[in-house]
Amino acid sequence: MKRAQLSTVLGPLIVGIAVLALWQAICRLWHIPPYLMPAPTDIAASLVANAVPLLHALRSTLLVTFAALLISVVLGVLAAFVLVQSRLIERSLMPYVIIMQVTPIVAIAPLIIILVKSTLPALIVCATLIAIFPIISNTLAGLRSVDPGLESFFRMHKASRLQMLWRLRIPSALPMFMAGLRISAGLALVGAIVAEFVAGTGGNSAGLAYEILQSGFQMDIPRMFAALSLITLAGLALYFAMALLERLALHRWHGQG
Amino acid sequence: MSQIATPGRLTDPPTALSTAPAIAIRGLTLRFGGETLFENLDLDLEAGRFTVLLGASGVGKTTLLRIVAGLETPDGPGGSVRADDGRPLAGRIAWMAQQDLLCPWLDAAANVALGDRLRGRRPDRDRVAGMLASVGLDGRGGVMPAALSGGMRQRVALARTLYENRKVVLMDEPFSALDSPTRLRIQDLAADRLAGRTVLLITHDALEACRLADRLVVLAGRPARLIEHPVPPGPVPRRSDDAEVLAAQGALLERLAAGIG
Repeated sequence: MKRAQLSTVLGPLIVGIAVLALWQAICRLWHIPPYLMPAPTDIAASLVANAVPLLHALRSTLLVTFAALLISVVLGVLAAFVLVQSRLIERSLMPYVIIMQVTPIVAIAPLIIILVKSTLPALIVCATLIAIFPIISNTLAGLRSVDPGLESFFRMHKASRLQMLWRLRIPSALPMFMAGLRISAGLALVGAIVAEFVAGTGGNSAGLAYEILQSGFQMDIPRMFAALSLITLAGLALYFAMALLERLALHRWHGQG
Repeated sequence: MSQIATPGRLTDPPTALSTAPAIAIRGLTLRFGGETLFENLDLDLEAGRFTVLLGASGVGKTTLLRIVAGLETPDGPGGSVRADDGRPLAGRIAWMAQQDLLCPWLDAAANVALGDRLRGRRPDRDRVAGMLASVGLDGRGGVMPAALSGGMRQRVALARTLYENRKVVLMDEPFSALDSPTRLRIQDLAADRLAGRTVLLITHDALEACRLADRLVVLAGRPARLIEHPVPPGPVPRRSDDAEVLAAQGALLERLAAGIG
């Protein structure tokens, strides 16, 4: 491993270990009770002890996240293609896309939970509402970002509408779409958690937010932190997965093919 | 860069160079923001020769080129662009711009063959490789534009222009983004490879104009008119250290500067 690579891995690792050690030391030295602030070892112990329900909850949350992300990509890209067709369509529809974006999801979520009968679809709708906006706006900007010179070149070669789309607009839009996807993936997870909080559903489709709520009611603070750490880990994994996807899709642009 | 210096014309299909048409541009009018840039402009491009067009920024050179290319229509009635053989110009024009206009998602070879892709034809791999070799990029077909220098990218654009093998070539300051030595080499290359085609070259560079022009016209004034400028003697490309080329360059610069006022 090269020096730069080593420091990007080693640096954060050392900081993380140092913070955890300090946290552990403070909790132990001042004898802070776990129901106020659990030490990292308490959280780890709770994570192991409650592994089955927590992982089950993680699965539910990730299911909602990925479903919302998938729907956001499909609908968001379709919406961008519709909006890019004409300035008139964009001017007429864009305000509503923005209204959808600026209305806080926490405020609409109860409505959706009431309107959509079964829980899982309701959660997915909430998460999609949050996650879809970056896909729409980035894909739209990407489709509009075509080099005008290159467009003239294609027109001189009498490229058809389909060729313009397939060979020029879509490749031109790809970098901005990938950036949108990365933001959207994080938002899908946020949306899933927020929706779970509002829905407060237990039972079979209980997610990590429900675990946090439930542990709070039971004053099981270490379990609360354990659920929280799983959310953070899921968010990190999602971020790196999207970054990897972006690199796979775009690496050819940046060097040898 | 050394490999560019070995000319040796690549074999083109036999019909390619014999029929470069002369082009008559008649009665073009162009307005922009309520101002008339030029009115009733006439320009003849001689068959198989380099016509070089100079003029200050904003005088309408690029738009003139785009009208010839069929990308824009002139303002007002009566303007026309015709080939002397009576056949339409569409499909016979290649175009090179200041930006290389390479697709960053395609490698050099795919960029050279882009025209074939758009026509739904299979690219001729050997010809693509040959064209790249002819601009000094032998074996670089698999390299992405991002990994090439500015000069190399512009040479890929030249290779694409050559691959298209059109009889009419329109060039809008194609070498202006390059450093001087690179520009000199690629001018030689372009003069050699594009010989026999009807070329309209727009440039700001007086030396480039004096090296490459068979005919030199300056677009100046408001509304702009075309003024003929004498061309130094000798075959194209002329040497950049030739005394007559340098004198002509100086005279041309003075004329352009006087036009700015």
